Parts: sequence; structure tokens; C-alpha cells
Amino acid sequence: MWTRGLFLLAVGAPLTFFPTPTRGQAAGAPQTAPSVVQANVKLVIGGETIKNNSVGTLSVVGNSLQFATDKAKVEVDASSIQDISTNEDSRQDITGAAHFATMAIPYGGGRALALFSHQVDVLTVEFKDANGGFHGAVFVLPQGQAAPFKKQLVAMGAKASVPLADPAPANK
Amino acid sequence: MSVIFRVVLIGAVLLMAGSLSAQTGSGDSKSAQKLSASSIQIEPTDPGDVPMPPEFRMAVYENLIAQIRKTGKFQHVYRSGDNDAASASDLVTLHTTARAFNKGSQKKREVTTITGSTSMTLNVHITDHAGQVLVDRDVRGKVRFLGENLRATYDFSKKVATIVQNTF
Repeated sequence: MWTRGLFLLAVGAPLTFFPTPTRGQAAGAPQTAPSVVQANVKLVIGGETIKNNSVGTLSVVGNSLQFATDKAKVEVDASSIQDISTNEDSRQDITGAAHFATMAIPYGGGRALALFSHQVDVLTVEFKDANGGFHGAVFVLPQGQAAPFKKQLVAMGAKASVPLADPAPANK
Repeated sequence: MSVIFRVVLIGAVLLMAGSLSAQTGSGDSKSAQKLSASSIQIEPTDPGDVPMPPEFRMAVYENLIAQIRKTGKFQHVYRSGDNDAASASDLVTLHTTARAFNKGSQKKREVTTITGSTSMTLNVHITDHAGQVLVDRDVRGKVRFLGENLRATYDFSKKVATIVQNTF
């Protein structure tokens, strides 16, 4: 009885202190790199198979940045990203055919409507394809949505010449 | 009367001969200036000392590739770093360096119509395989009234494509 208990203790103790490494890594990876998804993103330029100014969903899937529309999808591996940067800009609220229609409004009404605009984030990704060719892609996202993508991609191995700005300390 | 007529006639003949020789001369120089190359490689814009945002640099680069492909002057338009470009025999390379950049405001442009224009001036430099300069010009891209700021990069690329069209 005693010998059996000692045997179980001797065998069980090392197993208690050394958890299976494969499981630990597999469970840890998604925790450090959660997925980021943003709908209504405009690909301004740089989608080889996707037309300029297409609107779709930008997401981080696995180890790559993915932009998908109803018709096509482009994927960029995080390790192939040479630089990633974020910037701010503004866009008019009234665009396209409606924008031209506003020009016909008399007494400068169209110009007054041009005052309505909203802030957006611009995400620029510079990357290399499998053949070494250099590419650039410019995305326009809702305000404040570009930084999570940059943070996520940098964590996955993307290079960034300008580090992500730390959030401003809260005023006390 | 007949003397005046003769003088006028000789003058007219001399003028016509002069203009004809000038035309053929300019035609010869035009055809002599046309260069030939089967491939071109586009390099990303060098911002130099100009604070040009990355989205503008990338838009210039991508627009240049698209517009130069559209000219149909080259069998291959290679991106910077493309491994296949190394095997191209008569490759020319297009470099762009920022000289000036002014980011305007779409809102200002459309409200005032006279302020807020976005403009950029870049040096366009085309070299052959041996490094000899074939084209060296400053080109300006702008958006004055309608359109987003990045449209200046499209305007610039269209002008560069015209230069390429006239050179090759």
C-alpha cells in the first residue's frame, strides 16, 4: 500500500509541474493576438485584384491582414509587411452623384453642404509579394479604428518605422 | 508692278521652303528623341526632406504603376524589388523624389473654391541599365476644386505617363 502510494507520487509529481508544452503554446497564441475586424473600410488604392475605392471588411485572420469584398479578397502576411502607418484625414459626408447634385443648389447651398464632413483614419501598409515586388495599400477606416490593426500586425511581426503612440495619460 | 510681284513671289517661295525645312527638321529630332526599352521598373517615392505622408507616397507609387501600364509602351512594368527585373536586358528605372508637398483641405476647396488646394512637386528621374539619365524633370500634381486630397497623386501620375509616352 505504502509502496504503491510512493510510486504514484514519484510518477505524478513531475507531470504536475510540467504541463504539456504544445497545449500551452496553442492556447497562449490566440490570447496574445486576438482577431480585429472592421466593416465598411474603403480600399483607396493598392488592391491588385480589387478595384480602387472598393468598400469591404478589413480583418486580421490568422497571421495575415485580409480585405474582403463581395467579389474578391486580398491577403497580406504580417511578416511581409515592411512598414505600417496610421494617419488622420477628413471625408465629405455627401459624395458621389449626390455631391454633384448639391452643386446645382442655388445661393451657395451646395457649398454650405460641403461643410458637413467626418474624421477618418488612414491605414497605409507597405509590403512585399512572394516575388520580392514592393506594394502599397491605403485603407480608410472610421475614426480611431486604424490603431488596433497596426498594434495587432506589429505584434505578429510586421515592421513599423513609427511606433504606435501610447494612449494619453488620463487627467486627474 | 511686275518687279513687286516677283519680289513677293520669291519671298513666298522662300518662306514656304523655310517652313518645310523646319517641319522636317523638327520631325527628325522628334523621332531621334524616342527611346526604346522593353521593361521599366518603378521605385517607391523618396520623400527626401519633404514631410510627405506615407499614404501619398504609396498612392503615387501605385498610380504610377497603373498609369505606365496603361501607356502600353513596355512589355513588362516591374515593381521595385521584383526578382524578375534582374533578367530584363533593356530595363529602365523610374525614380521619384519629393521636392514640395502641400496637403490642402477638401472642405476648404469646396466651400471657398480658391483655397485648400493640394499640390505636390516631384522630381522624375528615368535611368537606363547603365545608370545614364534619360529623363530628369520636375512634375507637379494637384487637386484644385473637386475630389479628395489623394487625387493629386493621380494627376501627377497621369502627367508622368504622358512624359513616358512621349519619350519611349
